[in-house]
Amino acid sequence: MDKTLIIGYGSPIRGDDAIGPLAVERLVERGLPVGVEAIARHVLTAELVTELAGRERAIFLDAAAGGEPGMVQVHRLEPDVDAHSTMAHFLDPSELLAWCRQLYGQAPEAYLITATGACFDYAHCQLSPVAEAALERLLEQVERVWVG
Amino acid sequence: MSRTITIEPVTRIEGHARITLQLAEDGQLEDARFHLTQFRGFEKFCEGRPYREMPALTARTCGICPVSHIIASNKACDNLLAVDIPPTADKLRRIMNLAQLVQSHALSFFHLSSPDLLLGWDSDPATRNIFGVMRQNPELARDGIRLRQIGQTIIETLGGKKIHPTWVVPGGVSEPLSVEKRESMLKLLPEGLEIAKRTYAFYKTLVPKFKDEAGHFGTQPTLFLSLVTPQGHLEHYDGVLRVKDAQGRILEDQVPPEEYGRLIGEAVEDFSYMKFPYYKPQGYPQGVYRVGPLARLNNVQACGTPYADVALAEFHMLQESGPIVSSFHYHYARLVEILYGLEMMERLLKDPTILDTRVRARARSNRSEGIGVSEAPRGTLMHHYRIDDDGLITWLNLVIATGHNNLAMNQSIREVAAAYVDGNAIEEGMLNRVEAVIRCYDPCLSCASHAFGQMPLAIELRDAAGRVVDRLTR
Repeated sequence: MDKTLIIGYGSPIRGDDAIGPLAVERLVERGLPVGVEAIARHVLTAELVTELAGRERAIFLDAAAGGEPGMVQVHRLEPDVDAHSTMAHFLDPSELLAWCRQLYGQAPEAYLITATGACFDYAHCQLSPVAEAALERLLEQVERVWVG
Repeated sequence: MSRTITIEPVTRIEGHARITLQLAEDGQLEDARFHLTQFRGFEKFCEGRPYREMPALTARTCGICPVSHIIASNKACDNLLAVDIPPTADKLRRIMNLAQLVQSHALSFFHLSSPDLLLGWDSDPATRNIFGVMRQNPELARDGIRLRQIGQTIIETLGGKKIHPTWVVPGGVSEPLSVEKRESMLKLLPEGLEIAKRTYAFYKTLVPKFKDEAGHFGTQPTLFLSLVTPQGHLEHYDGVLRVKDAQGRILEDQVPPEEYGRLIGEAVEDFSYMKFPYYKPQGYPQGVYRVGPLARLNNVQACGTPYADVALAEFHMLQESGPIVSSFHYHYARLVEILYGLEMMERLLKDPTILDTRVRARARSNRSEGIGVSEAPRGTLMHHYRIDDDGLITWLNLVIATGHNNLAMNQSIREVAAAYVDGNAIEEGMLNRVEAVIRCYDPCLSCASHAFGQMPLAIELRDAAGRVVDRLTR
């Protein structure tokens, strides 16, 4: 099992919400370093906890709705048992980390890297220009985090 | 003065809803209602689209049940093409449908309902959640995650992705199964079956503790509707419709799914975006019926796989005679169906013809009307399309599993509220039981929000004391 897991998540048909999965696509195209695995998902589902168990580091990539469009931010995440989702079929990354700690003894060191989107309309299958520009900066931050 | 208690949002269900309890001056229950508060509109905005887009479009109804919609929608499209799909495609679609059943039932049982079942309806709400379950029974929680993962992995292996796969197409499936994929799925199933057997055995030890809840959680004598095989066995993909009453009498049998309109009428009310389907011969609102795992097991003599058949016999012993009427036992029925799903997927994958490369019948539309019916995890799912000469949708109707149960769910919350809610001294555990009876049905409200005709709308203007001072209706 690779030490670092990158999870990019978001909807591919909601415009800039797709930035997480698209970032994973770019990372895989460019080649991942040894010890790093990257996967793309629509949402964070419960079974992802088994993917996190045993990892040293997890990097979540997501679009953000708040702040200036194009802004890229890196957040350190901690397991949070109070972060439960009201919807049953997707989870907050901190909640997923809490599941991991509770069920498998420990959670990986985790980061959430976000890029603020400009357009989240339905049936939009391309990034806005501002999100497209932010994608490269987001990838730079991912590399910084996995290098440590 | 009368009072209204509102439970909003209803938690640990799929989607957004609220429950209102109307209490009389003496605190006794006058009425209870389940309101679906989200609106979608698929029946309208799909008009004018090419019918071949329908599987992809209607799959977006829901992120939980896309596979179920993909199956029913493609069956409706097969009907428009007027083709019999190749036998191997039939089997492959069945595997995907069963994988969806397993993962969905696992989510319902392990994640949504187990906090009530393990920790109790009256336990501290701050810890009555999945973390409470993890603390009390981590093995059960891990099993739930793994079982769901097995179902999702099979969907992804077949369809290329877990959510909204596009592998099922009108006429069959887009590509045959490879040896490697078959082997990878077969490797998962023994572990899944062990988890299912372990969970079923554990749950049987819990059931006697729930005698009181089982006696009040939706014990109304409704009808039961489901698909069955022509021999009267458990069926989730094809087959014929059967309606049984609470005494076990078969009222309708061997009904081709295309004739669903003869059995089912649809009504609307001004307090919910969910339709109110009813059994036509008994009229509205008397024609209450239930669908889903409880109805499916009540309607059949056998499942057709070894462990599930033993479990089915034990399920029927929950009551002295007749169909199991308590909606509480939806949980039990779900576990029986998980056993069945895993066993049947293994059987289908071991079928020597499963690797056949003829998996798609190609045709243009040969009918102007198509109906596809399958069993989703929550019950019978119906897609009904009409198209013009250019293959564009002119009309569609979706009758959703959760919608079928709407009348029964409303009856159930009235029964539970009357049994447990004392308006003079309301406790959280009472209200949680009202929510919990809804969880028995595992409603998916994203799927169930559908319009029929013009939405009846009522707007009420209330003063500070809650009195209605004006009311506008459409």
